[in-house]
Amino acid sequence: MNRSFFQKHAIILVVYALILVMIVIGTFNSEYFLTLRNLTNVLRQAAYLGTVALGQMLVILIAGIDLSVGSLVKLCVLVSAILMDGDPDNVWIAVTLTLGLGLSVGLIHAFLINELNMSPFVVTFASLFILKGISLSISTKPIGRASSDFLMLYSEKFAGIYVIVFFFIILMLLMMFLLNKTIFGRHIYAVGGNLSVAQLSGISVKRVRYGVYSLCSVLAAATGLLWLMRMGVGDPVIGNGLELNTIIAVVIGGTSLFGGRGTVIGVLGGVLLLTFTDNLLVILGVSQFYGGIIKGVIFVAAVSLYKTDDS
Amino acid sequence: MRKSQNPFILEMKNISKSFGGVDALKDVSFQCRPGTVHALVGENGAGKSTLIKILAGALLPDSGEIIFKGRKHQSLSTRKALNSGISVIYQELALVSQMTVAENIFLGREPSKSFGIIDKNRLKIEAKMLLKQLGFEIDPDMEVGELTVAYQQMVEIAKALSKNADLIIMDEPSAILAGHELEQLFLIIESLKKSGVTIIYISHRLEEVFRIANEVTILKDGQLVGTKPIKDMSRGELVKMMVGRTLEEVFPVSSNQPGTFVLQVDEISTKTILNQVSFKLREGEILGVAGMVGSGRTELARAIFGADPLTSGTIKIKGQDVVFKNPADAIRNKISLVPEDRKYHGLFTELSILNNITLPILSKISRWGFTDKKKGNEIVERARQIHSIDMTSGNQEVQYLSGGNQQKVVLSKSLQTIPEVIIMDEPTRGVDVGAKFEIYQLIRQLNKDGIAILMISSELPEILGLSDRILVMREGKIVAELTPKETTEEMIIEFATTNTTVCAKKN
Repeated sequence: MNRSFFQKHAIILVVYALILVMIVIGTFNSEYFLTLRNLTNVLRQAAYLGTVALGQMLVILIAGIDLSVGSLVKLCVLVSAILMDGDPDNVWIAVTLTLGLGLSVGLIHAFLINELNMSPFVVTFASLFILKGISLSISTKPIGRASSDFLMLYSEKFAGIYVIVFFFIILMLLMMFLLNKTIFGRHIYAVGGNLSVAQLSGISVKRVRYGVYSLCSVLAAATGLLWLMRMGVGDPVIGNGLELNTIIAVVIGGTSLFGGRGTVIGVLGGVLLLTFTDNLLVILGVSQFYGGIIKGVIFVAAVSLYKTDDS
Repeated sequence: MRKSQNPFILEMKNISKSFGGVDALKDVSFQCRPGTVHALVGENGAGKSTLIKILAGALLPDSGEIIFKGRKHQSLSTRKALNSGISVIYQELALVSQMTVAENIFLGREPSKSFGIIDKNRLKIEAKMLLKQLGFEIDPDMEVGELTVAYQQMVEIAKALSKNADLIIMDEPSAILAGHELEQLFLIIESLKKSGVTIIYISHRLEEVFRIANEVTILKDGQLVGTKPIKDMSRGELVKMMVGRTLEEVFPVSSNQPGTFVLQVDEISTKTILNQVSFKLREGEILGVAGMVGSGRTELARAIFGADPLTSGTIKIKGQDVVFKNPADAIRNKISLVPEDRKYHGLFTELSILNNITLPILSKISRWGFTDKKKGNEIVERARQIHSIDMTSGNQEVQYLSGGNQQKVVLSKSLQTIPEVIIMDEPTRGVDVGAKFEIYQLIRQLNKDGIAILMISSELPEILGLSDRILVMREGKIVAELTPKETTEEMIIEFATTNTTVCAKKN
């Protein structure tokens, strides 16, 4: 009765096979595509989407959703740029305060969901508009400045690989550890898998929610910092539509929107697939608008496949 | 030591609990002696589940107190209940299907190293040992969702036992376990008893109660009927206490002769539970369907109504073969369903009476897609008169009506399509006695008008008082066909709970 590894992970394997197809298409259509330079670039880009997507995955695992991550990234890139103001002495304070900002946003989300019994959709949807509003009232034009050494981190390499990629790999390993090896991680799956069972088993559902929503928002704040590294200024354009991209990546990666099922490896697959799609479109000189169509189609296909897999 | 001070491990005193004005438990008290099996019996809706949920801390009582191991509790939260040594095996399985057997067993109490890291080895080894000790052959690494229901129940039992509880509550384990597995459970219960564990065993099956229980407590309509040692009781006595007084309501007498067959169901089976069910229903006949919850009664209604696909068998309407792909097909063929749970399946409680009643016939009272309010109001007015619905106007929202009036609205809604066959699932659930009588009269009236009625009900007096014939279901099959004149409530319970298939009277 035990399903084999292949059966269990068939669709995630399909996702990785699709990535391979993208790579093949790219290789045959452009000399540039399969260069070390392009591939490391793609991985670095994936780290941006991936960091937020991992947080989103935690929230979706407990059958929640966080629609505010895009706006939070936007706010954090502005706040950190203003706080840093080009001065190396301000780096640590800017980083700490920005992550603290993320933490408080997450705690507020969990508070509203836990104590006022509101739906995650409503809470984070409101948050999407509020955080965006705050950001745009701070500035509609690029503002603030990264210190030069902070900016340098973007192109810093270690053993031929960008440190940002390393950061993302470490983050993924930590996340796998958290989900599979710790009590908190198993409780995340339990809460998402069957809320009433989790409660009856004496698990503090509220505590799990506080943890998950804070982690998600802190990761979004961290992504704001990554964007400051990349842009050097606080650009209020950053983060537009990001919440939807993260949800698509998480779902393509096999995470159930009803909670309780999903893996880091799957989400990585979803993130890579989306990032390779974007990269391929640029290289092939295809309009970015087609990207939306392709992502939408993959999204629907993935959800329908997972649905048939469940029954 | 403890024994000399207090002969009981658990005392529940004067527990009351009501939901939205309806009393689920009224002043119920009962006691358990340590190291015994205490059976808790009663019909559906007698209040067994509510009592158990209060004991497990999943519900708060309105009043009363609980004394467990000599300590007084006003109420118990889930965590507190577990820590103080009470553990529940729920009827609806309390497992996370995406997690492994071992993880489920220790959910909420995972063995850990420092920093909240799970000790996976210990988790696995302890789960393995526990399962072996219980004689269950289950791989602790399997995902629970991949196990059959019977195996899931075993995991549930293992989970409860792993908590080293002093008191284990088993909520109808035999509803799922059978044969060898059930025997295994009885052996486990026996050995638990020997080691001093107290067990509260809830069951519909009387033979089990007589086999394993030391004492039995009977509940009826949320009230305590009594607690007695099992050796002082006969089977008949117990059944009588469960069923209690015969309902005082007068059932309107049937005067019509059933006509020709309208509905013929031949050996239908479904993926859900139905297993080769056959029966025939005549014009102007009321066919009562009795059976315990989970016996397949509701599934039968769904299958006939086209809500669940058939895997085999045929349905004939007036002699013609029909296949219903969905409920709309069934409605077109003049079948109507009055569903079990009106709040979820029967009514839009936030919409007006008018909107509810006219919903099935909107096209009839509309012109070019616009509804004719006047026609709608006429229909509502007629329904109000015929069914004596107590309402202020057709615009009143259904949620503000009493249960009985809501049920009348559901009935008149399902009558709008002028059906020839009506399937009623628990037509008087959550309805007060007065309204019950009105609904009975309404059913009789429909019956007189020549409509064939399939009436599913847990209320045996209702089944006996209204039906022309009675079918009893158990485990997805029809196990008996009875005529009300020659039948007693005890007989129906007997058929619904034991393993003999009898046709008392062939039709």
